This record gives sequence, C-alpha cells and structure tokens, in this order.
Amino acid sequence: MRRLAWLACLVTLAASVPQPGYAQNLILTESEISAALSHGPWPPPGKNDPSNRMSGNSAAISLGRKLFFSSKLSADGTLSCASCHQPDNGFTDGLPQAMGHARGDRNTQSLFNQKHQRWFGWDGRNDNLWAQSLRPIVRSDEMALPVADLGTALSGTNFSDPYSRLFGPAHSHTKEQNLVNVGKLLAAYVETLETGKTPFDRFRDALESGDMVSAATYPEAAQRGFRIFAGKGKCNFCHTGPLFSNGEFHDAGVPYFVTADRVDEGRHGGIKSLMRSPFTLDGPYSDDLNKTGAWKTRQLVRSHNNFGTFRVPGLRNVELTAPYMHNGSLATLEDVVHHYSSIDLERLHADGELILQPLGLTESESGDLTTFLQSLTETEN
Amino acid sequence: MRLLPVILLALFAAQAQARDLPLFDAHIHYSHDAVIKVPPEQAAKILREAGVRSALVSSSDDDGTQKLLAAAPEIVVPALRPYRRRGEIGSWMHDPTVIGYVEDRLERFKYKALGEFHAYGDDIETPVLQRMIALAKQHDLLLHAHSDADAVERIFKSWPEARVLWAHSGFDNPDKVRATLRKHKNLWSDLAFRSDQASGGKVDPQWLAAFEEFPGRFMIGTDTFAPERWYYIKDHAEYSRAWLSSLPTGLAENIGYRNAEKMLGLMK
Repeated sequence: MRRLAWLACLVTLAASVPQPGYAQNLILTESEISAALSHGPWPPPGKNDPSNRMSGNSAAISLGRKLFFSSKLSADGTLSCASCHQPDNGFTDGLPQAMGHARGDRNTQSLFNQKHQRWFGWDGRNDNLWAQSLRPIVRSDEMALPVADLGTALSGTNFSDPYSRLFGPAHSHTKEQNLVNVGKLLAAYVETLETGKTPFDRFRDALESGDMVSAATYPEAAQRGFRIFAGKGKCNFCHTGPLFSNGEFHDAGVPYFVTADRVDEGRHGGIKSLMRSPFTLDGPYSDDLNKTGAWKTRQLVRSHNNFGTFRVPGLRNVELTAPYMHNGSLATLEDVVHHYSSIDLERLHADGELILQPLGLTESESGDLTTFLQSLTETEN
Repeated sequence: MRLLPVILLALFAAQAQARDLPLFDAHIHYSHDAVIKVPPEQAAKILREAGVRSALVSSSDDDGTQKLLAAAPEIVVPALRPYRRRGEIGSWMHDPTVIGYVEDRLERFKYKALGEFHAYGDDIETPVLQRMIALAKQHDLLLHAHSDADAVERIFKSWPEARVLWAHSGFDNPDKVRATLRKHKNLWSDLAFRSDQASGGKVDPQWLAAFEEFPGRFMIGTDTFAPERWYYIKDHAEYSRAWLSSLPTGLAENIGYRNAEKMLGLMK
C-alpha cells in the first residue's frame, strides 16, 4: 500500500506538476515507473548455497580467492581463473572468444552476481556454481590440468594447510573429490563478487522512497532509454528483475556457426551435458541432503527449440563486459542496440521467438537506449 | 529358460531395427543462406549420415532445392516454396508477383508439392492463395501448409480434393489434430519442430491415441529454418528413432517413412 501511495504521488507529479528543479526531468508514466521498480531493490537478499558447505565460510572464501589467482591449477602453470576472468575487466577478458590453452567457442562471461543464478554458462550446462567452477580447470581448451595432478597442485604448496583444515589432506581424497572440493572453494569466493549500486538503482530507489530530487538527477536520455527498454523494445521481457535476466535460454538471432562445418548447439548441448554430469544438485557431490533445487534439473526436457539458444545475460556492469553475445560477435553496446533494432527475422522460426521484431530505432532512440544500458554499471555515486 | 536366448535375440533385433529405421524427413528447407553456409554436397552428406532416405525439401528461393536435388537425387523430393526469400513468410499472400514466380518455376521444374507456405484463416481467400490452390490442382501437387485449423478448412472448401500436409500440425493439441484429421481423409500431419509428442523416448498418451487412430497420417520432420539447423538433422533423427522405437514396429515404420512415401506416391 505504501508503494502504491507513492506511485500515485509520483504519477501526479510526473504528469502534471511543472515545479522548478526536478519535476520536468521525470518523464516516466505510472506503468513505466512500476516497470522500473521491478528491477530492484539491489542487491536482492542472498543466502548461502546449501549444496556447498563452503558457501559463506570465510576461510573457504579466502582460500578460494587464492586458488582463483593461482596458476598452479593449469597444466603448464601459465593460466589461472583470473587469466580470463580479469577483475579489472569486469571479470571478463575483453576478447570475442576465450583464450585458454586453445581458443574457445564462446565469449568469457562475467563472474558478477553468480550467487543469484539458476543455470550456469551460456548453455546452462551446470545447475550450481561449484560445478561451473571446477570445469575450466580440467577442460582441455581452458586450464587443461589433468585431474590426477590436482592432488599434487594442492600438496606442498601454501594451499596445503588451509585445504587440510577445511577438507582433510588432499591425499586422503579421490582425485574427483579433490576437484569438487576446489570447485566449492572457488564458488565460495565467486559468490562474493556482487556488483554495487548503479545510477539506475539510485533512480529506482529514489522513485520507491519518493525522493523526487534524487530521482530527477537521473538523465532524461536514460529515462527515454528505459522507456524503450520496457516499452516498444520489450527488452524487459527477457531482461527481467533485479538481475536484468530471466535466467533462461533464447534465440536472439545471432548466428551460431563456430567453424564452416560446426555449430554451437547452445542449450541443447548444455542439457545433454547436464544430464550426464555427476556434479549436479541431484548428484552425490552435493552437500545438501534435501537436494534443494534439484527438481529443476530432474524436470528438464529437451526440445527442438533448445538448439542454438543461449542464456540471457544479466545486464549489471554491462558496460565493462564487451564484447557481447555468446560468441562475442558484437563489439559495443551500440552494436547490440543496432542488432535488435534491425534484427534479421529470417533467422528465426515463425513460431519461435515471437517477441523479437526489428525495432527500427532512430539514431536518437538508439543513443537513449545505450545511455540507459550504460547506467546499469556501478558507480561510486 | 530355453526361451531366454530367443527373447534376448528378439529384443536385440528390435533395438537394432529401431536404430537403423530409415526415415523420411518431411520438413526440410534449404534456403539461400543455407546454400552458402552448408554447400549442397555437405547437406547431402548430413542427410545420408543421419539415415534420412527421403526428404521433402523446399527453399527460399527455389534455387536451393534444385541444387540439393542435383547433389542427392535419391533423397530429395522437391517442393516449391512460394518465397524468393524467407522474409516473405508474412507478406507473400498479398504480393501478386509471387504468382509469376511460382508459375515460372512450375513450367521449368518438376515438383511433388507446393509449400511449405504460411497462411492463416482468411489468408486462404486472397487471390494469391487461391491461385496457388488452382496451380496445385493443375499440377497435381500436395499443399504443405503452415496454417491454423481454420485455414486448413478453407483450403478444403476451396478444393475438396486437395491433398494437404499440415505443417507442425498447426501447433495444435492432439485432440484438435485428431478432430481435423477425422474431417478430411486427404489431410496428413507433420510433427516438425514440436517436442510434445514424446519425451525421454516415450510417447505422450494423448499423441499415442492420435497415432493409433490415424496410423497412416503422421510423419516426422526437422524444419531446417536457419542454416545452422542442418546440424540438428542427425540429432533429430536420433530423437525420432528413440520415440518411434517405443511403438509397435508397423506403426513406427509408418510414421518413420511409409506414410510420407504413400502420401507422395513414392512407395519404394
């Protein structure tokens, strides 16, 4: 009720009160303000991952951070997680496709806000963060560490003592259990990587609290951009909620050939991988006896429209994570806006992604939408 | 106990048969961009490796179909799509220049079907659609219609002797599909780009009832609507064989290839 009262107040102000200073700068309608409120508050409440007993454990977070930056987890000692997930680069690498021991097929995703995700990776091949964290260590095109060498990497190093205190000595575990343990340590650290408040959050919070002076400092161009985002662009159909993502998989009309005779199967391949994986919420390595959340994986059904679909990325700190799309094929945010403005419907099934239509944005509208997207990146003030 | 080896042998034989079931893929497109991205010899190789022994192929423009027919004449059953580019699917029924394009192709090449075309409800009453129906009658062509049930009814009203392959079975539920099949003996249903008929290799009970009521009317199809989906043909074939293997052999063979061959007069 309190929110509704404020909304009514805001609408009145926005629509009719030409007061000096701020009212003329608030251009959103009642429904647009309601849409803006749905993208917060930020951050949403978080809780520890019950499938990972290291989640929220300060000693595990500390060791996980050390492992994240250590090159001992790679085959030749030259790569760490941070080689691709660079903190100064939005925890991405700035490359179209990741470059580990070999060039990957996909763009490196940011590690921000992972604790709020449902599926992990562009294809959702994991249903939990610790499984997603252990994969790059052993994948041949990423860090390529033979799993049998993991015990050695953990022993006789400054990881040995804290690891033993948390799990017992590495040599007392199977190689697969050590891999899972390292995944859980890395996940404990990655869970702490949460984006801060953005200009949009401050605007949204001001709207909710009725702080009209603060709300009016949000640029009009960004407000016009949000109007497109939540209006004719229908971007918020998939980029929903505080994360600006519904966490699911869609065909955004981006080609998915990898080479002349190979395509990226996207979610189709992700489900196949997930169904084979021992590292799921329903599997033997979960620490959660209640198997919380495992239902989502049990209920998975492959369908033909999974082929060539990719997870909707969140948009927080989006300005820091170029290039964009699953294969890094769009260099800038302006390119992304242009893609949706002139999307090639010929690539989409007539009964597929019905939400997508070429937006036909003017240059000014494209600029406004880009300005709004830029306002989703955290700033100190 | 002496029967056990016989039973095991029979089971093994049934599984091997299911794995090797030849398929007629009744919903393949090979459009202008696919021709570039998946050249004809590569496309033919994909079909052969997937065990697709026949395929109803159409393309936007028709050049792709002709090129694939040349590369795989033993597989390709050509259909003429009334589009010069895929992007015409929502506008073609209002574009009279389509008629000249289709008439020209029909004069120059042989086809077994007209389609797959998109038309809903009273789209069928437009002069372009009515001319398409007249051309199908003149050239004895099957109509491959991506349509709702209303449009299917209107096609049969326009030409009661029409033979219609209902693409995706209109994305309708099995009861609606059955009801429409009951009304028209010359209507067949393709199951392309829908996944509700089977999951985990098991057939949905409602669909099973439809297949049992109309064992001679259903067929499978991949729908290669974008070039990349050519690389889904093999997966789709495996998916199809998996759920077909849960059906009685005769019914599985019908849906797998025999119904399409009968529909098109191609019994091998």
